[in-house]
Amino acid sequence: MIAIYKRELKSFYSGMMGYLLDAFFILVGGLYFTAVNLQGGYSYFTYTLYNTCFVFLIFVPVLTMRSFAEERHNKTDQLLLTSPVSLGRIVMGKYLALMTVFVVPLAVLSICPLLLKMGGDFSNLSNYSAIFGYFLLGAACIAIGMFISSLTENQIIAVLGTFAILLLTYLMSGIRTLFTTGSSLALIVFAVLLLVISLLVGLNSKSLSLGCMVFVIGGAVLLVLFKVRSAALTTAFSALLGYLSVFDPFQNFVGDLFSITAIVYYLSVAGLFLFLTGQSLEKRRWN
Amino acid sequence: MIQVERLTKRYGNHFAIEDLSFTVEEGKIYGLLGPNGAGKSTTMNIITGYISATSGTVAVDGHDILEEPSAARACIGYLPEIPPLYMDMTPREYLNFAGELKGMKKAARKEQIQRVMDRTGITEMADRLIKHLSKGYKQRVGLAGALMGSPKVIILDEPTVGLDPAQVIGIRELIRDLGRTHTVILSSHILSEVQAVCDQVLIISAGHLAAQGTPEELSERLSGKSALNITALGDLEKVRSIVESVGQIGKILEAHEQNGETSLKVEIPAGRDLRAELSAALAGAGCPVTALATETLSLEDIFLQLTEGETAAGQPEAEKEPEANEQGEEKEE
Repeated sequence: MIAIYKRELKSFYSGMMGYLLDAFFILVGGLYFTAVNLQGGYSYFTYTLYNTCFVFLIFVPVLTMRSFAEERHNKTDQLLLTSPVSLGRIVMGKYLALMTVFVVPLAVLSICPLLLKMGGDFSNLSNYSAIFGYFLLGAACIAIGMFISSLTENQIIAVLGTFAILLLTYLMSGIRTLFTTGSSLALIVFAVLLLVISLLVGLNSKSLSLGCMVFVIGGAVLLVLFKVRSAALTTAFSALLGYLSVFDPFQNFVGDLFSITAIVYYLSVAGLFLFLTGQSLEKRRWN
Repeated sequence: MIQVERLTKRYGNHFAIEDLSFTVEEGKIYGLLGPNGAGKSTTMNIITGYISATSGTVAVDGHDILEEPSAARACIGYLPEIPPLYMDMTPREYLNFAGELKGMKKAARKEQIQRVMDRTGITEMADRLIKHLSKGYKQRVGLAGALMGSPKVIILDEPTVGLDPAQVIGIRELIRDLGRTHTVILSSHILSEVQAVCDQVLIISAGHLAAQGTPEELSERLSGKSALNITALGDLEKVRSIVESVGQIGKILEAHEQNGETSLKVEIPAGRDLRAELSAALAGAGCPVTALATETLSLEDIFLQLTEGETAAGQPEAEKEPEANEQGEEKEE
């Protein structure tokens, strides 16, 4: 695991990529810090962080696009997958290297609250808890990006796919407000979701009847819910969208709240996607 | 050392390999021989754990490749068809990385890197970037990587493809040298290579094990008993009776007379040379021998016979199509 970590990190910093990414991160962070905190006179570094969330949309896809896609494209994954190192350790080694590239600029930006402190007397606790939240947000995004990179051997697809997914989650809180009216829309969306699930079940088990059965039973449940408790359906739909909005929980930290829910949420998202990355590599063996 | 039992790999409806079983003994050089798309790479990828078989088991040094993957893989050094090299590393860094993956300690690694580089002749390229090396050197760096950690088994997939003749000879010598200290499995579609290097040959055709044995055994066993073509002056009846009187002689396969010369094709038992007895007997009876030649099928003939026989004899026309597809598929893998 350490071997993979070291190699990955070295490949970032032996070329331009690592420096460029880190410079970009620090530049945007520094710009907003200057504008919001230094010129605007706010002592809340959290505002800077909140405003620079969009950086992840560019930083993460470019950071993660290579991780598994390049290995697969160059066939170097054969070296890793036939070595005595277990799959989990390969994934963790890569992930930790990516996290390191992300933590470097974040550590530099962590000096900013100290600079602010020089200008006045206030507690920096909320600033640092927000930086911690920001770190977790990044950890979750990087896990998502790495997972998408493990699905393809084309880096362009990986970068665009990650960008699209992150953009969707970034805009999700906005999208969510569009869908509050009426439960019929929720019904349609759930029906489509059900169709996709039953298709997947049908294809994976290679049995048409099983897929149809899942769809019919699920459809019946949905219809009953729609007739009896249509409000529940709308709430469930809204909650579902809420879970997909990766950037939302971070706002708790911005609002001066050290949110355990947000921490658990980010750690679960990161854990889930690391697990899925391992599964997608394992699946490749079995295709 | 390696037990492969009833190995099957299926892609959709097509079998890349089907019901393949063989055993690899310690300290020998094995050659997997077969035409392109026969399933050589698939077999190797399964043994090394890169892909999983649809059914069947592989045990390396007693460790099942699925139950104890790490222990099984620790015994194997693998050089795939395309060497898995990181272009932004130098050979020294690459070997260090390969050693780390095998879990070697730092001091042992440093010492072994030097030894492996000397052995594969890449010492003078040690600190250049791999992307600047020629194909032959890249191949050697890949091979050096497979040697890191002194694995008991070294698996080489088409190790000499794309190299120039001098490099091919170099690699072959290296493989023979490796055979003294390791068990080596290599694949090739070039017969002379396998014949020159290997102790044991496994001929794979269309996913099946077509034949197995030492190169000599294969020539012998598959040609049946070797045959002798003999031409002598004299009429058919006379020559035939003289030949039949020689001890240990087998059946007369062909016989014909032309212009007072008789040509016979005689079967002789394996491992026996009856040329001297035959010519002495014929000359003594007043039938001078004008031509005498042993006919043994070369491994090449057997190879062609086996692999072509497979497609010609067994399979109807329609089944030849998927075979072409398989080659495409394997490239995508």
